Amino acid sequence: MSAPAIIARGLEKSYGRVQAVRGIDFEVARARCVGLLGPNGAGKTTTMRMIMGLTTPSAGELRVFGEPVAKLTRRQKARIGLVPQENNLDPDLSVRQNLEVYGRYFSLPSALLAERIPALLAFMQLSERLDSGVNQLSGGMKRRLVLARALISDPELVILDEPTTGLDPQARVMIWKRLLDLKRQGLTLLLTTHYMDEAQRLCDEIIVIDHGRILDRGPPQDLIDRHVKGHVFEVQKPLPSGFRDGQWEHEDIGDAILYYVETPRAFTEDLPEDVVYWHRQANLEDVFLRLTGRQLREK
Amino acid sequence: MEEARAIATHSLAVTRRQYLVWRKVIWSSLSTNVANPILFLFAFGFGLGAVVDRMAGLDYLAFVVPGMMAYSAMFAASFETTVGSFARLDFQKTWDATLATPVTLLELLLGEAFWATCKAMISAICVLVVGALWGGIGSAGGALLSLPMILLAALAFATCGLVATAYARSWEFFSYFFTFWITPMFVFSGVFFAVDRFPDYVEPIAWVLPMTHLIQVVRPLVAGHELALLEALGHVTYVAALGAVAFVVAYRRLRSRLFD
Repeated sequence: MSAPAIIARGLEKSYGRVQAVRGIDFEVARARCVGLLGPNGAGKTTTMRMIMGLTTPSAGELRVFGEPVAKLTRRQKARIGLVPQENNLDPDLSVRQNLEVYGRYFSLPSALLAERIPALLAFMQLSERLDSGVNQLSGGMKRRLVLARALISDPELVILDEPTTGLDPQARVMIWKRLLDLKRQGLTLLLTTHYMDEAQRLCDEIIVIDHGRILDRGPPQDLIDRHVKGHVFEVQKPLPSGFRDGQWEHEDIGDAILYYVETPRAFTEDLPEDVVYWHRQANLEDVFLRLTGRQLREK
Repeated sequence: MEEARAIATHSLAVTRRQYLVWRKVIWSSLSTNVANPILFLFAFGFGLGAVVDRMAGLDYLAFVVPGMMAYSAMFAASFETTVGSFARLDFQKTWDATLATPVTLLELLLGEAFWATCKAMISAICVLVVGALWGGIGSAGGALLSLPMILLAALAFATCGLVATAYARSWEFFSYFFTFWITPMFVFSGVFFAVDRFPDYVEPIAWVLPMTHLIQVVRPLVAGHELALLEALGHVTYVAALGAVAFVVAYRRLRSRLFD
Protein backbone atom coordinates (compact mmCIF):
# COMPACT_ATOMS: atom_id res chain seq x y z
CA MET A 1 0.00 0.00 0.00
CA SER A 2 1.21 3.51 -0.75
CA ALA A 3 2.36 6.09 1.79
CA PRO A 4 -0.13 7.40 4.35
CA ALA A 5 -2.38 10.19 3.08
CA ILE A 6 -1.24 12.49 5.87
CA ILE A 7 1.85 12.45 8.08
CA ALA A 8 2.38 15.06 10.80
CA ARG A 9 5.55 15.16 12.89
CA GLY A 10 6.05 17.70 15.66
CA LEU A 11 3.52 19.93 13.95
CA GLU A 12 3.10 23.34 15.56
CA LYS A 13 1.18 26.50 14.88
CA SER A 14 1.25 29.78 16.77
CA TYR A 15 -0.79 32.89 16.12
CA GLY A 16 1.31 35.60 17.69
CA ARG A 17 1.69 34.43 21.29
CA VAL A 18 -1.17 31.98 21.15
CA GLN A 19 -0.04 28.41 20.55
CA ALA A 20 -2.90 26.70 18.79
CA VAL A 21 -1.08 23.45 17.99
CA ARG A 22 1.87 22.42 20.18
CA GLY A 23 3.71 19.62 18.49
CA ILE A 24 1.46 16.81 17.33
CA ASP A 25 2.35 13.59 15.55
CA PHE A 26 -0.16 11.53 13.67
CA GLU A 27 -0.76 9.62 10.50
CA VAL A 28 -3.84 9.05 8.44
CA ALA A 29 -3.63 5.85 6.43
CA ARG A 30 -5.34 5.68 3.06
CA ALA A 31 -8.94 4.58 2.78
CA ARG A 32 -9.49 5.13 6.49
CA CYS A 33 -11.68 7.52 8.41
CA VAL A 34 -9.86 9.26 11.23
CA GLY A 35 -11.67 11.48 13.74
CA LEU A 36 -10.01 14.44 15.34
CA LEU A 37 -11.91 15.07 18.57
CA GLY A 38 -11.42 17.86 21.06
CA PRO A 39 -13.22 20.74 22.76
CA ASN A 40 -13.52 24.10 21.04
CA GLY A 41 -10.13 25.73 20.74
CA ALA A 42 -8.27 22.42 20.95
CA GLY A 43 -6.51 23.00 17.64
CA LYS A 44 -8.61 20.83 15.33
CA THR A 45 -9.53 23.45 12.77
CA THR A 46 -6.00 24.85 12.75
CA THR A 47 -4.66 21.38 12.02
CA MET A 48 -7.11 20.95 9.15
CA ARG A 49 -6.29 24.35 7.73
CA MET A 50 -2.60 23.44 7.75
CA ILE A 51 -3.34 20.26 5.82
CA MET A 52 -5.32 22.27 3.27
CA GLY A 53 -2.47 24.75 2.87
CA LEU A 54 -4.73 27.53 4.19
CA THR A 55 -2.46 28.13 7.18
CA THR A 56 1.32 27.84 7.22
CA PRO A 57 2.72 25.61 10.01
CA SER A 58 5.08 27.35 12.46
CA ALA A 59 7.24 24.27 12.98
CA GLY A 60 7.37 20.54 12.34
CA GLU A 61 6.68 18.45 9.33
CA LEU A 62 3.43 17.96 7.49
CA ARG A 63 3.15 15.73 4.46
CA VAL A 64 0.14 15.01 2.32
CA PHE A 65 0.43 12.16 -0.21
CA GLY A 66 4.08 11.96 0.87
CA GLU A 67 4.84 15.52 -0.20
CA PRO A 68 5.43 18.50 2.17
CA VAL A 69 2.26 20.60 2.13
CA ALA A 70 4.06 23.72 0.93
CA LYS A 71 5.33 21.83 -2.11
CA LEU A 72 2.07 20.24 -3.20
CA THR A 73 1.55 20.66 -6.90
CA ARG A 74 -1.75 21.82 -8.28
CA ARG A 75 -2.56 18.30 -9.31
CA GLN A 76 -1.89 17.01 -5.80
CA LYS A 77 -3.91 19.83 -4.24
CA ALA A 78 -6.79 18.90 -6.47
CA ARG A 79 -6.87 15.48 -4.79
CA ILE A 80 -7.99 17.04 -1.51
CA GLY A 81 -11.56 18.14 -0.83
CA LEU A 82 -12.63 20.35 2.05
CA VAL A 83 -15.87 20.69 3.96
CA PRO A 84 -15.15 23.73 6.12
CA GLN A 85 -16.80 24.40 9.44
CA GLU A 86 -18.58 27.48 8.15
CA ASN A 87 -20.64 27.09 5.01
CA ASN A 88 -18.76 29.31 2.59
CA LEU A 89 -20.95 28.61 -0.39
CA ASP A 90 -21.18 31.41 -2.89
CA PRO A 91 -24.39 33.27 -2.00
CA ASP A 92 -24.33 35.15 -5.32
CA LEU A 93 -24.58 31.96 -7.38
CA SER A 94 -27.09 29.15 -7.88
CA VAL A 95 -26.53 25.57 -6.73
CA ARG A 96 -25.34 24.53 -10.17
CA GLN A 97 -23.09 27.56 -10.56
CA ASN A 98 -21.53 26.97 -7.17
CA LEU A 99 -20.34 23.59 -8.36
CA GLU A 100 -19.48 24.78 -11.82
CA VAL A 101 -17.39 27.75 -10.67
CA TYR A 102 -15.66 25.58 -8.12
CA GLY A 103 -14.99 22.91 -10.72
CA ARG A 104 -13.24 25.47 -12.90
CA TYR A 105 -10.88 26.29 -10.06
CA PHE A 106 -9.79 22.67 -10.43
CA SER A 107 -9.42 23.14 -14.21
CA LEU A 108 -12.12 20.58 -14.90
CA PRO A 109 -13.35 20.69 -18.50
CA SER A 110 -16.96 21.71 -19.15
CA ALA A 111 -17.94 18.32 -20.54
CA LEU A 112 -16.76 16.59 -17.38
CA LEU A 113 -18.58 19.11 -15.19
CA ALA A 114 -21.78 18.69 -17.18
CA GLU A 115 -21.61 15.03 -16.30
CA ARG A 116 -20.38 15.24 -12.75
CA ILE A 117 -22.57 18.03 -11.35
CA PRO A 118 -25.91 16.19 -11.81
CA ALA A 119 -24.33 13.00 -10.49
CA LEU A 120 -23.06 14.71 -7.35
CA LEU A 121 -26.36 16.48 -6.76
CA ALA A 122 -28.17 13.16 -7.11
CA PHE A 123 -25.72 11.56 -4.69
CA MET A 124 -26.47 14.31 -2.15
CA GLN A 125 -30.23 14.30 -2.95
CA LEU A 126 -30.22 17.84 -4.25
CA SER A 127 -31.21 17.20 -7.86
CA GLU A 128 -34.40 19.26 -7.61
CA ARG A 129 -32.50 22.27 -6.35
CA LEU A 130 -30.20 22.60 -9.35
CA ASP A 131 -31.23 26.18 -10.10
CA SER A 132 -32.08 27.36 -6.59
CA GLY A 133 -30.16 30.19 -5.03
CA VAL A 134 -27.97 29.12 -2.15
CA ASN A 135 -29.90 31.25 0.31
CA GLN A 136 -33.11 29.40 -0.52
CA LEU A 137 -31.63 26.14 0.79
CA SER A 138 -32.21 24.79 4.29
CA GLY A 139 -29.28 24.27 6.64
CA GLY A 140 -29.13 20.58 5.81
CA MET A 141 -29.23 21.22 2.07
CA LYS A 142 -26.43 23.78 2.32
CA ARG A 143 -24.32 21.28 4.18
CA ARG A 144 -25.00 18.63 1.55
CA LEU A 145 -24.08 21.09 -1.16
CA VAL A 146 -20.80 21.87 0.61
CA LEU A 147 -20.09 18.16 0.66
CA ALA A 148 -20.97 17.84 -3.04
CA ARG A 149 -18.64 20.75 -3.73
CA ALA A 150 -15.82 19.05 -1.83
CA LEU A 151 -16.24 16.04 -4.13
CA ILE A 152 -16.22 17.97 -7.40
CA SER A 153 -12.62 17.09 -8.23
CA ASP A 154 -13.11 13.41 -7.36
CA PRO A 155 -10.66 13.73 -4.43
CA GLU A 156 -8.82 10.95 -2.65
CA LEU A 157 -8.75 12.75 0.68
CA VAL A 158 -11.66 14.67 2.15
CA ILE A 159 -11.27 16.88 5.18
CA LEU A 160 -14.53 17.43 7.06
CA ASP A 161 -14.70 20.07 9.77
CA GLU A 162 -17.88 19.39 11.76
CA PRO A 163 -19.86 18.19 8.73
CA THR A 164 -23.15 17.74 10.61
CA THR A 165 -23.16 20.46 13.26
CA GLY A 166 -26.56 22.08 13.56
CA LEU A 167 -28.39 19.56 11.38
CA ASP A 168 -31.54 17.63 12.23
CA PRO A 169 -31.20 13.87 12.83
CA GLN A 170 -32.53 12.99 9.37
CA ALA A 171 -29.92 15.13 7.66
CA ARG A 172 -27.18 13.77 9.87
CA VAL A 173 -28.09 10.17 9.11
CA MET A 174 -28.14 10.98 5.40
CA ILE A 175 -24.68 12.53 5.55
CA TRP A 176 -23.33 9.61 7.56
CA LYS A 177 -24.55 7.23 4.89
CA ARG A 178 -22.81 9.21 2.22
CA LEU A 179 -19.58 9.37 4.17
CA LEU A 180 -19.65 5.61 4.67
CA ASP A 181 -20.26 5.23 0.92
CA LEU A 182 -17.20 7.35 0.25
CA LYS A 183 -15.11 5.31 2.64
CA ARG A 184 -16.21 2.15 0.89
CA GLN A 185 -15.12 3.69 -2.41
CA GLY A 186 -11.64 3.99 -0.93
CA LEU A 187 -11.56 7.68 0.00
CA THR A 188 -9.58 8.81 3.01
CA LEU A 189 -11.56 10.91 5.46
CA LEU A 190 -10.33 13.16 8.24
CA LEU A 191 -13.20 14.43 10.33
CA THR A 192 -13.88 16.58 13.35
CA THR A 193 -17.14 16.48 15.22
CA HIS A 194 -18.66 17.23 18.60
CA TYR A 195 -21.05 14.31 18.23
CA MET A 196 -19.44 11.28 19.79
CA ASP A 197 -21.98 8.90 18.29
CA GLU A 198 -20.97 10.23 14.89
CA ALA A 199 -17.29 9.64 15.58
CA GLN A 200 -17.97 6.18 16.93
CA ARG A 201 -20.05 5.27 13.92
CA LEU A 202 -17.78 6.62 11.21
CA CYS A 203 -14.21 6.53 12.43
CA ASP A 204 -11.71 3.68 12.31
CA GLU A 205 -9.44 5.67 14.53
CA ILE A 206 -9.87 8.56 16.92
CA ILE A 207 -7.33 11.16 17.91
CA VAL A 208 -8.26 13.11 21.03
CA ILE A 209 -6.66 16.52 21.07
CA ASP A 210 -6.78 19.35 23.61
CA HIS A 211 -4.82 22.54 24.13
CA GLY A 212 -2.91 21.77 20.94
CA ARG A 213 -1.66 18.37 22.12
CA ILE A 214 -2.72 14.81 21.44
CA LEU A 215 -4.09 13.15 24.58
CA ASP A 216 -4.65 9.68 23.20
CA ARG A 217 -5.54 7.84 20.03
CA GLY A 218 -6.81 4.51 18.84
CA PRO A 219 -9.86 2.71 17.51
CA PRO A 220 -13.02 3.87 19.35
CA GLN A 221 -13.48 0.60 21.21
CA ASP A 222 -9.85 0.52 22.35
CA LEU A 223 -10.20 4.02 23.78
CA ILE A 224 -13.37 3.01 25.59
CA ASP A 225 -11.73 -0.10 27.02
CA ARG A 226 -8.63 1.83 28.02
CA HIS A 227 -10.22 4.81 29.73
CA VAL A 228 -13.71 3.91 30.82
CA LYS A 229 -13.57 0.12 30.93
CA GLY A 230 -16.84 -0.73 29.17
CA HIS A 231 -19.52 0.00 31.76
CA VAL A 232 -20.46 3.11 33.62
CA PHE A 233 -22.35 3.18 36.89
CA GLU A 234 -23.60 6.57 37.87
CA VAL A 235 -24.25 6.36 41.61
CA GLN A 236 -26.24 9.15 43.27
CA LYS A 237 -24.83 10.87 46.32
CA PRO A 238 -24.83 10.52 49.26
CA LEU A 239 -23.09 7.16 49.15
CA PRO A 240 -24.01 4.68 51.88
CA SER A 241 -21.34 4.64 54.60
CA GLY A 242 -20.50 0.96 54.21
CA PHE A 243 -19.59 1.25 50.53
CA ARG A 244 -15.88 0.80 49.81
CA ASP A 245 -15.27 2.24 46.37
CA GLY A 246 -11.50 2.22 46.51
CA GLN A 247 -11.06 -0.72 44.16
CA TRP A 248 -13.08 0.85 41.29
CA GLU A 249 -11.95 3.58 39.00
CA HIS A 250 -14.20 6.53 39.63
CA GLU A 251 -14.79 10.19 39.04
CA ASP A 252 -16.75 12.66 41.17
CA ILE A 253 -19.07 14.73 38.99
CA GLY A 254 -20.80 16.71 41.74
CA ASP A 255 -24.11 15.16 42.70
CA ALA A 256 -23.07 11.69 41.60
CA ILE A 257 -20.02 9.51 41.18
CA LEU A 258 -19.18 7.68 37.98
CA TYR A 259 -17.62 4.23 38.30
CA TYR A 260 -15.85 2.75 35.30
CA VAL A 261 -16.21 -0.99 35.48
CA GLU A 262 -15.15 -3.91 33.33
CA THR A 263 -17.50 -6.59 34.67
CA PRO A 264 -20.80 -5.17 35.93
CA ARG A 265 -21.65 -8.13 38.16
CA ALA A 266 -18.57 -7.73 40.32
CA PHE A 267 -19.56 -4.13 40.93
CA THR A 268 -23.26 -4.69 41.66
CA GLU A 269 -22.43 -7.46 44.10
CA ASP A 270 -20.42 -4.94 46.06
CA LEU A 271 -23.15 -2.32 45.97
CA PRO A 272 -25.47 -1.86 48.99
CA GLU A 273 -29.13 -2.44 48.15
CA ASP A 274 -30.54 1.01 48.87
CA VAL A 275 -28.22 2.83 46.46
CA VAL A 276 -29.71 4.70 43.53
CA TYR A 277 -27.70 4.12 40.40
CA TRP A 278 -27.87 4.10 36.66
CA HIS A 279 -25.96 1.54 34.62
CA ARG A 280 -25.09 1.95 30.96
CA GLN A 281 -22.53 0.94 28.34
CA ALA A 282 -19.52 3.19 28.33
CA ASN A 283 -19.18 5.25 25.16
CA LEU A 284 -16.84 7.62 23.46
CA GLU A 285 -18.42 10.58 25.22
CA ASP A 286 -17.22 9.17 28.54
CA VAL A 287 -13.72 8.85 27.11
CA PHE A 288 -13.85 12.38 25.78
CA LEU A 289 -14.98 13.89 29.06
CA ARG A 290 -12.48 11.88 31.08
CA LEU A 291 -9.61 12.95 28.86
CA THR A 292 -10.51 16.58 28.33
CA GLY A 293 -12.26 17.36 31.62
CA ARG A 294 -15.71 18.70 32.32
CA GLN A 295 -15.13 22.42 32.51
CA LEU A 296 -16.75 24.63 29.92
CA ARG A 297 -14.30 25.95 27.37
CA GLU A 298 -16.01 29.10 26.28
CA LYS A 299 -16.60 31.90 28.72
CA MET B 1 5.53 28.86 -19.91
CA GLU B 2 3.19 26.15 -18.75
CA GLU B 3 3.08 27.77 -15.33
CA ALA B 4 2.23 31.14 -16.89
CA ARG B 5 -0.65 29.53 -18.71
CA ALA B 6 -1.85 27.87 -15.51
CA ILE B 7 -1.73 31.20 -13.69
CA ALA B 8 -3.72 32.83 -16.47
CA THR B 9 -6.32 30.05 -16.55
CA HIS B 10 -6.87 30.08 -12.80
CA SER B 11 -6.98 33.88 -12.62
CA LEU B 12 -9.54 33.98 -15.38
CA ALA B 13 -11.61 31.33 -13.60
CA VAL B 14 -11.85 33.80 -10.70
CA THR B 15 -12.71 36.64 -13.09
CA ARG B 16 -15.35 34.45 -14.66
CA ARG B 17 -17.00 33.92 -11.29
CA GLN B 18 -17.41 37.68 -10.91
CA TYR B 19 -18.75 37.90 -14.42
CA LEU B 20 -21.41 35.26 -13.68
CA VAL B 21 -22.53 37.26 -10.66
CA TRP B 22 -22.54 40.51 -12.63
CA ARG B 23 -24.61 38.95 -15.40
CA LYS B 24 -27.49 38.59 -12.94
CA VAL B 25 -27.53 42.33 -12.32
CA ILE B 26 -26.47 43.36 -15.80
CA TRP B 27 -29.40 45.72 -16.43
CA SER B 28 -29.17 47.62 -13.19
CA SER B 29 -25.42 47.80 -13.61
CA LEU B 30 -25.53 49.08 -17.18
CA SER B 31 -28.36 51.51 -16.54
CA THR B 32 -26.54 53.14 -13.64
CA ASN B 33 -23.39 53.28 -15.73
CA VAL B 34 -25.30 55.16 -18.40
CA ALA B 35 -27.46 57.27 -16.08
CA ASN B 36 -24.53 58.57 -14.06
CA PRO B 37 -22.78 60.44 -16.88
CA ILE B 38 -26.13 61.74 -18.17
CA LEU B 39 -26.87 63.24 -14.77
CA PHE B 40 -23.40 64.74 -14.56
CA LEU B 41 -23.61 66.18 -18.04
CA PHE B 42 -26.95 67.77 -17.21
CA ALA B 43 -25.39 69.40 -14.19
CA PHE B 44 -22.36 70.58 -16.13
CA GLY B 45 -24.16 71.39 -19.32
CA PHE B 46 -26.82 73.55 -17.81
CA GLY B 47 -25.18 74.44 -14.52
CA LEU B 48 -21.44 74.85 -14.60
CA GLY B 49 -21.24 74.91 -18.39
CA ALA B 50 -23.36 78.03 -18.45
CA VAL B 51 -20.77 79.83 -16.36
CA VAL B 52 -17.59 78.16 -17.60
CA ASP B 53 -17.25 78.50 -21.30
CA ARG B 54 -13.79 77.16 -22.00
CA MET B 55 -11.20 75.37 -19.95
CA ALA B 56 -7.55 74.85 -20.86
CA GLY B 57 -8.26 75.78 -24.43
CA LEU B 58 -11.16 73.36 -24.79
CA ASP B 59 -14.89 73.74 -24.97
CA TYR B 60 -16.04 72.85 -21.45
CA LEU B 61 -18.00 69.79 -22.59
CA ALA B 62 -14.97 68.47 -24.47
CA PHE B 63 -12.90 69.15 -21.37
CA VAL B 64 -15.15 67.39 -18.92
CA VAL B 65 -16.11 64.23 -20.87
CA PRO B 66 -12.59 62.70 -20.87
CA GLY B 67 -12.29 63.61 -17.19
CA MET B 68 -15.50 61.77 -16.48
CA MET B 69 -14.37 58.73 -18.46
CA ALA B 70 -11.28 58.54 -16.30
CA TYR B 71 -13.17 59.19 -13.11
CA SER B 72 -15.83 56.58 -13.75
CA ALA B 73 -13.19 53.97 -14.57
CA MET B 74 -11.25 54.87 -11.43
CA PHE B 75 -14.33 54.71 -9.25
CA ALA B 76 -15.57 51.41 -10.68
CA ALA B 77 -12.20 49.68 -10.31
CA SER B 78 -11.62 51.03 -6.81
CA PHE B 79 -15.08 50.13 -5.61
CA GLU B 80 -14.83 46.58 -6.92
CA THR B 81 -11.56 45.71 -5.19
CA THR B 82 -12.48 47.40 -1.92
CA VAL B 83 -16.13 47.02 -1.02
CA GLY B 84 -16.59 44.09 -3.41
CA SER B 85 -13.41 42.21 -2.56
CA PHE B 86 -13.70 42.83 1.16
CA ALA B 87 -17.18 41.29 1.14
CA ARG B 88 -15.75 38.19 -0.50
CA LEU B 89 -12.82 38.09 1.89
CA ASP B 90 -14.55 38.84 5.15
CA PHE B 91 -18.28 38.39 5.08
CA GLN B 92 -18.97 35.84 2.36
CA LYS B 93 -15.74 33.85 2.91
CA THR B 94 -15.55 33.38 -0.84
CA TRP B 95 -11.78 33.76 -0.76
CA ASP B 96 -11.42 31.07 1.85
CA ALA B 97 -13.42 28.69 -0.31
CA THR B 98 -11.42 29.61 -3.40
CA LEU B 99 -8.04 29.18 -1.73
CA ALA B 100 -8.99 25.65 -0.67
CA THR B 101 -8.80 24.74 -4.36
CA PRO B 102 -5.70 24.73 -6.60
CA VAL B 103 -6.22 28.49 -7.07
CA THR B 104 -3.37 30.40 -5.39
CA LEU B 105 -3.55 33.78 -3.69
CA LEU B 106 -1.66 35.32 -6.60
CA GLU B 107 -4.26 34.05 -9.06
CA LEU B 108 -7.14 35.05 -6.83
CA LEU B 109 -5.87 38.63 -6.62
CA LEU B 110 -5.12 38.79 -10.34
CA GLY B 111 -8.61 37.49 -11.05
CA GLU B 112 -10.14 40.13 -8.79
CA ALA B 113 -8.07 42.89 -10.40
CA PHE B 114 -8.94 41.71 -13.93
CA TRP B 115 -12.62 41.80 -13.17
CA ALA B 116 -12.40 45.23 -11.56
CA THR B 117 -10.68 46.36 -14.75
CA CYS B 118 -13.49 44.91 -16.86
CA LYS B 119 -16.04 46.82 -14.82
CA ALA B 120 -14.00 49.98 -15.13
CA MET B 121 -13.91 49.60 -18.90
CA ILE B 122 -17.66 49.04 -19.10
CA SER B 123 -18.11 52.19 -17.07
CA ALA B 124 -15.70 54.26 -19.15
CA ILE B 125 -17.20 53.06 -22.42
CA CYS B 126 -20.70 54.00 -21.21
CA VAL B 127 -19.41 57.51 -20.52
CA LEU B 128 -17.75 57.57 -23.91
CA VAL B 129 -20.99 56.62 -25.66
CA VAL B 130 -23.05 59.15 -23.73
CA GLY B 131 -20.38 61.82 -24.25
CA ALA B 132 -20.27 61.10 -27.97
CA LEU B 133 -24.04 61.41 -28.31
CA TRP B 134 -23.83 64.65 -26.34
CA GLY B 135 -21.22 65.92 -28.72
CA GLY B 136 -18.35 66.02 -26.27
CA ILE B 137 -15.88 63.83 -28.17
CA GLY B 138 -13.47 65.66 -30.40
CA SER B 139 -11.89 62.63 -32.02
CA ALA B 140 -13.47 59.21 -32.18
CA GLY B 141 -10.14 57.63 -33.11
CA GLY B 142 -8.41 59.40 -30.24
CA ALA B 143 -11.13 58.26 -27.86
CA LEU B 144 -10.59 54.66 -28.91
CA LEU B 145 -6.83 55.13 -28.51
CA SER B 146 -7.38 56.36 -24.97
CA LEU B 147 -9.02 53.09 -23.96
CA PRO B 148 -5.80 51.07 -23.54
CA MET B 149 -4.47 53.80 -21.25
CA ILE B 150 -7.69 53.69 -19.22
CA LEU B 151 -7.36 49.91 -19.06
CA LEU B 152 -3.84 50.14 -17.69
CA ALA B 153 -4.85 52.77 -15.15
CA ALA B 154 -7.93 50.77 -14.12
CA LEU B 155 -5.68 47.84 -13.36
CA ALA B 156 -3.56 50.13 -11.19
CA PHE B 157 -6.62 51.54 -9.39
CA ALA B 158 -7.79 47.98 -8.81
CA THR B 159 -4.52 46.98 -7.19
CA CYS B 160 -4.51 50.15 -5.06
CA GLY B 161 -7.97 49.11 -3.88
CA LEU B 162 -6.59 45.67 -3.02
CA VAL B 163 -4.04 47.37 -0.76
CA ALA B 164 -6.90 48.99 1.19
CA THR B 165 -8.70 45.63 1.37
CA ALA B 166 -5.51 43.95 2.59
CA TYR B 167 -5.30 46.36 5.52
CA ALA B 168 -9.03 46.69 6.21
CA ARG B 169 -10.30 45.13 9.42
CA SER B 170 -13.88 46.35 9.02
CA TRP B 171 -16.10 48.29 6.66
CA GLU B 172 -15.35 51.53 8.50
CA PHE B 173 -11.81 51.37 7.21
CA PHE B 174 -13.01 52.16 3.73
CA SER B 175 -14.26 55.58 4.77
CA TYR B 176 -10.57 56.51 5.03
CA PHE B 177 -9.99 55.06 1.60
CA PHE B 178 -12.80 57.06 0.06
CA THR B 179 -12.03 60.28 1.91
CA PHE B 180 -8.26 60.26 1.46
CA TRP B 181 -7.90 58.51 -1.89
CA ILE B 182 -11.05 58.69 -4.02
CA THR B 183 -12.20 62.20 -3.11
CA PRO B 184 -8.77 63.79 -3.63
CA MET B 185 -8.71 62.28 -7.11
CA PHE B 186 -12.14 63.73 -7.72
CA VAL B 187 -10.99 67.13 -6.53
CA PHE B 188 -7.31 67.49 -7.45
CA SER B 189 -6.74 65.41 -10.56
CA GLY B 190 -8.27 67.70 -13.11
CA VAL B 191 -11.59 66.01 -13.71
CA PHE B 192 -13.58 69.24 -13.73
CA PHE B 193 -10.92 71.89 -14.03
CA ALA B 194 -7.32 72.11 -15.09
CA VAL B 195 -4.68 71.14 -12.55
CA ASP B 196 -2.70 74.33 -13.16
CA ARG B 197 -5.52 76.37 -11.66
CA PHE B 198 -4.44 75.22 -8.22
CA PRO B 199 -1.98 77.18 -6.13
CA ASP B 200 1.59 75.91 -6.53
CA TYR B 201 1.65 74.06 -3.22
CA VAL B 202 -1.37 71.93 -4.19
CA GLU B 203 0.05 70.81 -7.50
CA PRO B 204 2.47 68.23 -6.05
CA ILE B 205 -0.50 66.51 -4.43
CA ALA B 206 -2.19 66.35 -7.79
CA TRP B 207 0.86 64.79 -9.40
CA VAL B 208 1.13 62.07 -6.79
CA LEU B 209 -2.34 60.87 -7.66
CA PRO B 210 -2.39 58.39 -10.59
CA MET B 211 -5.65 59.86 -11.81
CA THR B 212 -3.91 63.12 -12.76
CA HIS B 213 -1.53 61.21 -15.03
CA LEU B 214 -4.36 59.27 -16.57
CA ILE B 215 -6.28 62.42 -17.43
CA GLN B 216 -3.21 64.07 -18.88
CA VAL B 217 -3.09 61.32 -21.48
CA VAL B 218 -6.79 60.75 -22.03
CA ARG B 219 -7.89 64.35 -22.43
CA PRO B 220 -5.77 65.37 -25.41
CA LEU B 221 -6.52 62.04 -27.11
CA VAL B 222 -10.28 62.34 -26.73
CA ALA B 223 -10.22 65.99 -27.69
CA GLY B 224 -8.20 65.13 -30.77
CA HIS B 225 -5.23 67.23 -29.72
CA GLU B 226 -1.63 66.36 -30.15
CA LEU B 227 -0.08 64.25 -27.43
CA ALA B 228 3.55 64.79 -26.44
CA LEU B 229 4.87 61.27 -26.75
CA LEU B 230 7.66 61.43 -24.22
CA GLU B 231 5.43 63.09 -21.66
CA ALA B 232 2.75 60.48 -22.23
CA LEU B 233 5.31 57.77 -21.75
CA GLY B 234 6.18 59.29 -18.38
CA HIS B 235 2.54 59.21 -17.32
CA VAL B 236 2.12 55.61 -18.44
CA THR B 237 5.26 54.55 -16.57
CA TYR B 238 4.16 56.27 -13.39
CA VAL B 239 0.72 54.64 -13.42
CA ALA B 240 2.11 51.21 -14.30
CA ALA B 241 4.79 51.38 -11.60
CA LEU B 242 2.30 52.46 -8.96
CA GLY B 243 -0.03 49.63 -9.91
CA ALA B 244 2.77 47.08 -9.77
CA VAL B 245 4.01 48.28 -6.37
CA ALA B 246 0.45 48.27 -5.02
CA PHE B 247 -0.04 44.71 -6.20
CA VAL B 248 3.11 43.52 -4.46
CA VAL B 249 2.15 45.31 -1.24
CA ALA B 250 -1.39 43.91 -1.31
CA TYR B 251 -0.15 40.41 -2.09
CA ARG B 252 2.41 40.35 0.72
CA ARG B 253 0.06 41.83 3.27
CA LEU B 254 -2.73 39.39 2.39
CA ARG B 255 -0.37 36.44 2.35
CA SER B 256 0.69 37.09 5.90
CA ARG B 257 -2.83 38.02 6.97
CA LEU B 258 -4.41 34.88 5.57
CA PHE B 259 -1.76 32.22 6.02
CA ASP B 260 0.36 33.13 9.06
